[in-house]
Amino acid sequence: MAHFAKLGANGKVIQVLTLDNKDMLNADGVEDESVGQQYLETHNNWPAQMWIQTSYNTSGGQHKEGGTPFRGNYAGIGYTWDEDDQIFWPKKPYVSWVKHNESASWKSPIGDAPALTAEQESQNTADTHRWGYVWNESGQSWDLTDSKA
Amino acid sequence: MYILHPGMQKKVLTEQALYYGDVAMPKDWDIDRDKLSGDILQSVIQNKDFPFSRTWDILNTYMRDHVGLEYDVNLVNKETWGNIYKPAETTTPLLNIDPVDLRNSPDFTLLYGVKVKDCFVRIHFEDNRRKGRSWDIELKNNMFIMFPSTNMYYLTNNQKDSLNFIQTITYEYI
Repeated sequence: MAHFAKLGANGKVIQVLTLDNKDMLNADGVEDESVGQQYLETHNNWPAQMWIQTSYNTSGGQHKEGGTPFRGNYAGIGYTWDEDDQIFWPKKPYVSWVKHNESASWKSPIGDAPALTAEQESQNTADTHRWGYVWNESGQSWDLTDSKA
Repeated sequence: MYILHPGMQKKVLTEQALYYGDVAMPKDWDIDRDKLSGDILQSVIQNKDFPFSRTWDILNTYMRDHVGLEYDVNLVNKETWGNIYKPAETTTPLLNIDPVDLRNSPDFTLLYGVKVKDCFVRIHFEDNRRKGRSWDIELKNNMFIMFPSTNMYYLTNNQKDSLNFIQTITYEYI
Protein backbone atom coordinates (compact mmCIF):
# COMPACT_ATOMS: atom_id res chain seq x y z
CA MET A 1 0.00 0.00 0.00
CA ALA A 2 1.38 3.38 -0.99
CA HIS A 3 0.55 6.67 0.68
CA PHE A 4 0.17 10.04 -0.97
CA ALA A 5 -0.24 13.47 0.60
CA LYS A 6 -2.60 15.91 -1.05
CA LEU A 7 -1.16 19.42 -1.02
CA GLY A 8 -3.13 22.62 -0.82
CA ALA A 9 -1.99 26.19 -1.10
CA ASN A 10 1.46 26.95 0.38
CA GLY A 11 2.37 23.27 0.27
CA LYS A 12 0.21 22.40 3.26
CA VAL A 13 -0.98 18.81 3.51
CA ILE A 14 -4.76 18.67 3.29
CA GLN A 15 -5.26 14.94 3.23
CA VAL A 16 -3.34 11.68 3.10
CA LEU A 17 -4.66 8.84 0.97
CA THR A 18 -3.62 5.26 0.44
CA LEU A 19 -3.16 3.86 -3.03
CA ASP A 20 -2.98 0.27 -4.12
CA ASN A 21 0.56 -0.41 -5.32
CA LYS A 22 -0.76 -1.83 -8.58
CA ASP A 23 -2.20 1.57 -9.42
CA MET A 24 1.24 3.12 -9.56
CA LEU A 25 3.05 0.64 -11.78
CA ASN A 26 4.58 1.95 -14.98
CA ALA A 27 4.76 0.09 -18.28
CA ASP A 28 7.74 -1.89 -16.99
CA GLY A 29 5.84 -3.02 -13.90
CA VAL A 30 7.89 -0.80 -11.61
CA GLU A 31 6.33 1.46 -8.98
CA ASP A 32 6.50 5.02 -10.21
CA GLU A 33 5.35 8.04 -8.21
CA SER A 34 4.27 9.93 -11.33
CA VAL A 35 1.93 7.07 -12.32
CA GLY A 36 0.34 7.24 -8.88
CA GLN A 37 0.04 11.00 -9.17
CA GLN A 38 -1.72 10.67 -12.50
CA TYR A 39 -4.08 8.05 -11.10
CA LEU A 40 -4.94 10.32 -8.19
CA GLU A 41 -5.52 13.29 -10.48
CA THR A 42 -7.97 11.24 -12.52
CA HIS A 43 -9.84 9.78 -9.59
CA ASN A 44 -9.63 12.57 -7.03
CA ASN A 45 -9.93 15.71 -9.14
CA TRP A 46 -6.76 17.33 -7.90
CA PRO A 47 -3.66 18.12 -9.98
CA ALA A 48 -1.08 15.37 -10.25
CA GLN A 49 1.85 17.52 -9.11
CA MET A 50 0.03 18.24 -5.85
CA TRP A 51 0.06 14.61 -4.77
CA ILE A 52 3.36 13.69 -3.10
CA GLN A 53 4.23 10.20 -2.05
CA THR A 54 5.00 9.73 1.63
CA SER A 55 6.35 6.85 3.68
CA TYR A 56 4.23 5.41 6.45
CA ASN A 57 7.31 4.05 8.20
CA THR A 58 9.42 7.19 8.16
CA SER A 59 9.50 9.46 11.16
CA GLY A 60 12.09 11.93 12.35
CA GLY A 61 14.33 11.11 9.39
CA GLN A 62 14.46 7.44 10.38
CA HIS A 63 12.81 4.36 8.93
CA LYS A 64 11.09 2.41 11.70
CA GLU A 65 12.01 -0.94 10.17
CA GLY A 66 15.58 -0.09 9.34
CA GLY A 67 14.93 0.70 5.70
CA THR A 68 15.74 3.87 3.82
CA PRO A 69 13.91 6.89 5.21
CA PHE A 70 11.80 8.71 2.66
CA ARG A 71 11.02 12.41 2.85
CA GLY A 72 11.69 12.93 6.53
CA ASN A 73 8.32 12.21 8.08
CA TYR A 74 5.10 10.47 7.26
CA ALA A 75 2.89 13.34 6.13
CA GLY A 76 0.00 14.36 8.34
CA ILE A 77 -2.77 16.86 7.84
CA GLY A 78 -1.37 20.33 8.49
CA TYR A 79 2.21 19.34 7.70
CA THR A 80 4.11 21.41 5.14
CA TRP A 81 5.89 19.97 2.13
CA ASP A 82 9.37 21.35 1.60
CA GLU A 83 10.25 20.65 -2.00
CA ASP A 84 13.85 21.90 -1.70
CA ASP A 85 14.74 19.61 1.18
CA GLN A 86 12.25 16.87 0.23
CA ILE A 87 10.83 16.76 3.76
CA PHE A 88 7.35 16.86 5.23
CA TRP A 89 7.57 19.21 8.20
CA PRO A 90 5.19 19.12 11.15
CA LYS A 91 3.93 22.41 12.51
CA LYS A 92 6.64 24.59 14.01
CA PRO A 93 6.21 24.28 17.78
CA TYR A 94 7.74 27.65 18.72
CA VAL A 95 8.60 30.73 16.70
CA SER A 96 12.28 30.56 17.56
CA TRP A 97 12.78 26.92 16.64
CA VAL A 98 14.74 26.03 13.55
CA LYS A 99 14.70 23.19 11.05
CA HIS A 100 17.08 20.33 11.55
CA ASN A 101 17.15 18.45 8.26
CA GLU A 102 19.03 15.36 9.45
CA SER A 103 16.35 14.49 11.99
CA ALA A 104 13.53 16.10 9.98
CA SER A 105 12.41 17.86 13.13
CA TRP A 106 12.34 21.27 14.75
CA LYS A 107 15.05 22.09 17.28
CA SER A 108 15.29 24.85 19.81
CA PRO A 109 17.98 27.46 19.06
CA ILE A 110 20.01 26.13 21.99
CA GLY A 111 19.59 22.48 21.09
CA ASP A 112 17.85 19.63 22.84
CA ALA A 113 16.77 19.71 26.46
CA PRO A 114 19.42 18.58 28.95
CA ALA A 115 19.21 14.98 30.12
CA LEU A 116 17.58 14.33 33.48
CA THR A 117 19.85 13.34 36.31
CA ALA A 118 19.85 9.78 37.58
CA GLU A 119 18.05 10.96 40.73
CA GLN A 120 15.33 12.68 38.72
CA GLU A 121 14.94 9.59 36.54
CA SER A 122 14.56 7.38 39.59
CA GLN A 123 12.00 9.74 41.10
CA ASN A 124 10.05 9.62 37.84
CA THR A 125 10.21 5.85 37.87
CA ALA A 126 9.02 5.76 41.47
CA ASP A 127 6.25 8.16 40.45
CA THR A 128 7.03 10.52 43.31
CA HIS A 129 7.84 13.28 40.83
CA ARG A 130 7.38 13.88 37.15
CA TRP A 131 10.48 15.77 36.09
CA GLY A 132 10.80 17.10 32.61
CA TYR A 133 12.13 20.04 30.67
CA VAL A 134 9.69 22.50 29.12
CA TRP A 135 10.72 25.04 26.52
CA ASN A 136 10.45 28.63 27.72
CA GLU A 137 9.97 30.68 24.57
CA SER A 138 10.20 34.09 26.20
CA GLY A 139 13.34 33.18 28.16
CA GLN A 140 14.77 31.04 25.36
CA SER A 141 15.69 28.32 27.81
CA TRP A 142 14.78 24.83 28.93
CA ASP A 143 13.03 25.01 32.31
CA LEU A 144 13.02 22.02 34.61
CA THR A 145 9.53 21.36 35.91
CA ASP A 146 7.83 18.79 38.05
CA SER A 147 4.36 18.36 36.58
CA LYS A 148 3.31 16.41 39.66
CA ALA A 149 4.13 19.24 42.03
CA MET B 1 1.01 33.32 30.41
CA TYR B 2 0.24 35.31 33.56
CA ILE B 3 -3.17 34.49 35.01
CA LEU B 4 -4.64 37.44 36.85
CA HIS B 5 -7.17 35.45 38.82
CA PRO B 6 -6.44 31.73 38.84
CA GLY B 7 -9.98 30.86 39.97
CA MET B 8 -11.62 32.72 37.11
CA GLN B 9 -12.03 30.72 33.94
CA LYS B 10 -13.93 30.85 30.70
CA LYS B 11 -15.80 28.17 28.81
CA VAL B 12 -17.11 28.83 25.32
CA LEU B 13 -20.32 26.82 25.01
CA THR B 14 -21.09 27.73 21.44
CA GLU B 15 -19.96 30.13 18.79
CA GLN B 16 -21.40 31.49 15.60
CA ALA B 17 -18.63 31.44 13.07
CA LEU B 18 -18.82 32.58 9.49
CA TYR B 19 -16.24 31.51 6.98
CA TYR B 20 -15.72 33.34 3.73
CA GLY B 21 -13.13 33.92 1.06
CA ASP B 22 -12.12 32.98 -2.44
CA VAL B 23 -11.85 29.44 -3.68
CA ALA B 24 -8.12 29.45 -4.39
CA MET B 25 -7.66 26.48 -6.67
CA PRO B 26 -4.27 25.40 -8.02
CA LYS B 27 -3.09 27.02 -11.24
CA ASP B 28 -5.07 25.91 -14.32
CA TRP B 29 -7.58 24.16 -12.07
CA ASP B 30 -10.08 26.94 -11.62
CA ILE B 31 -13.67 25.96 -10.92
CA ASP B 32 -15.50 25.74 -14.25
CA ARG B 33 -18.22 28.23 -13.37
CA ASP B 34 -19.74 28.00 -16.87
CA LYS B 35 -20.40 24.33 -16.25
CA LEU B 36 -21.99 25.08 -12.86
CA SER B 37 -24.18 27.88 -14.21
CA GLY B 38 -25.32 25.58 -17.05
CA ASP B 39 -26.21 22.88 -14.55
CA ILE B 40 -28.07 25.39 -12.38
CA LEU B 41 -30.02 26.61 -15.39
CA GLN B 42 -30.86 23.06 -16.39
CA SER B 43 -31.98 22.04 -12.92
CA VAL B 44 -34.10 25.17 -12.47
CA ILE B 45 -35.78 25.02 -15.88
CA GLN B 46 -36.45 21.31 -15.68
CA ASN B 47 -37.26 21.46 -11.97
CA LYS B 48 -34.86 18.59 -11.29
CA ASP B 49 -32.22 17.89 -8.68
CA PHE B 50 -28.89 19.58 -9.27
CA PRO B 51 -26.78 17.09 -11.23
CA PHE B 52 -23.56 15.70 -9.81
CA SER B 53 -20.54 16.72 -11.86
CA ARG B 54 -16.77 16.67 -11.64
CA THR B 55 -16.78 20.45 -11.29
CA TRP B 56 -19.20 20.38 -8.39
CA ASP B 57 -17.16 17.64 -6.75
CA ILE B 58 -13.98 19.71 -7.02
CA LEU B 59 -15.70 22.65 -5.32
CA ASN B 60 -17.24 20.50 -2.62
CA THR B 61 -14.01 18.64 -1.90
CA TYR B 62 -12.08 21.89 -1.77
CA MET B 63 -14.46 23.29 0.83
CA ARG B 64 -14.50 20.18 2.99
CA ASP B 65 -10.72 19.77 2.85
CA HIS B 66 -9.86 23.38 3.57
CA VAL B 67 -12.42 24.02 6.29
CA GLY B 68 -11.21 20.82 7.91
CA LEU B 69 -7.58 21.84 7.63
CA GLU B 70 -7.89 25.45 8.72
CA TYR B 71 -10.63 25.23 11.33
CA ASP B 72 -10.80 21.56 12.29
CA VAL B 73 -14.43 21.35 11.24
CA ASN B 74 -15.25 18.07 9.53
CA LEU B 75 -18.13 18.52 7.12
CA VAL B 76 -20.52 15.95 5.73
CA ASN B 77 -22.75 16.80 2.80
CA LYS B 78 -26.48 17.18 3.22
CA GLU B 79 -27.95 18.78 0.12
CA THR B 80 -27.04 20.98 -2.80
CA TRP B 81 -28.96 23.10 -5.25
CA GLY B 82 -28.52 26.09 -7.49
CA ASN B 83 -30.55 29.27 -7.71
CA ILE B 84 -30.99 31.97 -10.29
CA TYR B 85 -31.94 35.43 -9.07
CA LYS B 86 -33.47 37.99 -11.34
CA PRO B 87 -32.14 41.53 -11.74
CA ALA B 88 -33.07 43.74 -8.78
CA GLU B 89 -34.53 40.76 -6.95
CA THR B 90 -34.44 40.50 -3.20
CA THR B 91 -35.31 37.09 -1.84
CA THR B 92 -37.66 36.37 0.98
CA PRO B 93 -35.81 35.50 4.19
CA LEU B 94 -34.20 32.08 3.72
CA LEU B 95 -33.65 29.43 6.35
CA ASN B 96 -32.21 26.02 5.59
CA ILE B 97 -33.18 24.23 8.76
CA ASP B 98 -36.52 22.68 9.47
CA PRO B 99 -37.48 24.01 12.93
CA VAL B 100 -39.61 20.92 13.60
CA ASP B 101 -36.95 18.51 12.39
CA LEU B 102 -33.67 19.86 13.69
CA ARG B 103 -32.28 16.35 13.91
CA ASN B 104 -32.17 16.08 10.14
CA SER B 105 -31.33 19.71 9.46
CA PRO B 106 -27.91 20.89 8.30
CA ASP B 107 -25.35 22.67 10.49
CA PHE B 108 -23.87 24.92 7.84
CA THR B 109 -25.01 26.63 4.67
CA LEU B 110 -22.46 27.42 2.01
CA LEU B 111 -23.14 29.94 -0.73
CA TYR B 112 -20.82 30.01 -3.73
CA GLY B 113 -20.81 32.80 -6.29
CA VAL B 114 -21.07 31.04 -9.65
CA LYS B 115 -21.92 34.05 -11.78
CA VAL B 116 -22.82 37.05 -9.73
CA LYS B 117 -22.74 40.80 -9.97
CA ASP B 118 -23.60 43.22 -7.16
CA CYS B 119 -24.92 40.36 -5.08
CA PHE B 120 -25.27 41.01 -1.37
CA VAL B 121 -26.00 38.59 1.42
CA ARG B 122 -27.51 39.72 4.71
CA ILE B 123 -27.14 37.19 7.50
CA HIS B 124 -29.22 37.65 10.63
CA PHE B 125 -27.95 36.66 14.04
CA GLU B 126 -28.61 37.15 17.71
CA ASP B 127 -26.07 38.35 20.25
CA ASN B 128 -27.62 37.16 23.50
CA ARG B 129 -30.33 39.69 24.32
CA ARG B 130 -29.45 41.80 21.31
CA LYS B 131 -31.83 40.34 18.75
CA GLY B 132 -32.28 41.22 15.13
CA ARG B 133 -28.68 41.94 14.29
CA SER B 134 -27.37 41.38 10.79
CA TRP B 135 -24.13 41.25 8.89
CA ASP B 136 -23.81 42.19 5.23
CA ILE B 137 -21.30 40.85 2.80
CA GLU B 138 -20.95 41.02 -0.95
CA LEU B 139 -20.78 37.66 -2.68
CA LYS B 140 -18.47 37.83 -5.65
CA ASN B 141 -17.58 35.40 -8.39
CA ASN B 142 -15.67 32.36 -7.14
CA MET B 143 -16.20 33.43 -3.54
CA PHE B 144 -17.84 31.40 -0.79
CA ILE B 145 -19.65 32.28 2.41
CA MET B 146 -20.41 29.60 4.97
CA PHE B 147 -22.48 30.22 8.07
CA PRO B 148 -24.66 28.31 10.55
CA SER B 149 -27.87 27.10 8.95
CA THR B 150 -29.83 28.32 11.96
CA ASN B 151 -29.16 31.86 10.76
CA MET B 152 -31.77 33.36 8.50
CA TYR B 153 -30.42 35.19 5.47
CA TYR B 154 -31.48 36.84 2.31
CA LEU B 155 -29.90 37.74 -0.97
CA THR B 156 -30.16 40.89 -3.01
CA ASN B 157 -29.33 41.22 -6.67
CA ASN B 158 -28.41 44.86 -6.60
CA GLN B 159 -28.35 45.63 -10.31
CA LYS B 160 -30.76 45.60 -13.23
CA ASP B 161 -28.74 43.96 -15.97
CA SER B 162 -28.02 40.34 -15.29
CA LEU B 163 -29.06 37.18 -13.52
CA ASN B 164 -27.15 35.95 -10.49
CA PHE B 165 -26.26 32.26 -10.27
CA ILE B 166 -25.55 30.92 -6.80
CA GLN B 167 -24.72 27.41 -5.69
CA THR B 168 -25.83 26.36 -2.23
CA ILE B 169 -24.41 23.37 -0.38
CA THR B 170 -25.52 22.39 3.09
CA TYR B 171 -23.40 20.41 5.52
CA GLU B 172 -23.51 18.89 8.93
CA TYR B 173 -20.37 18.60 10.97
CA ILE B 174 -19.06 15.64 12.90
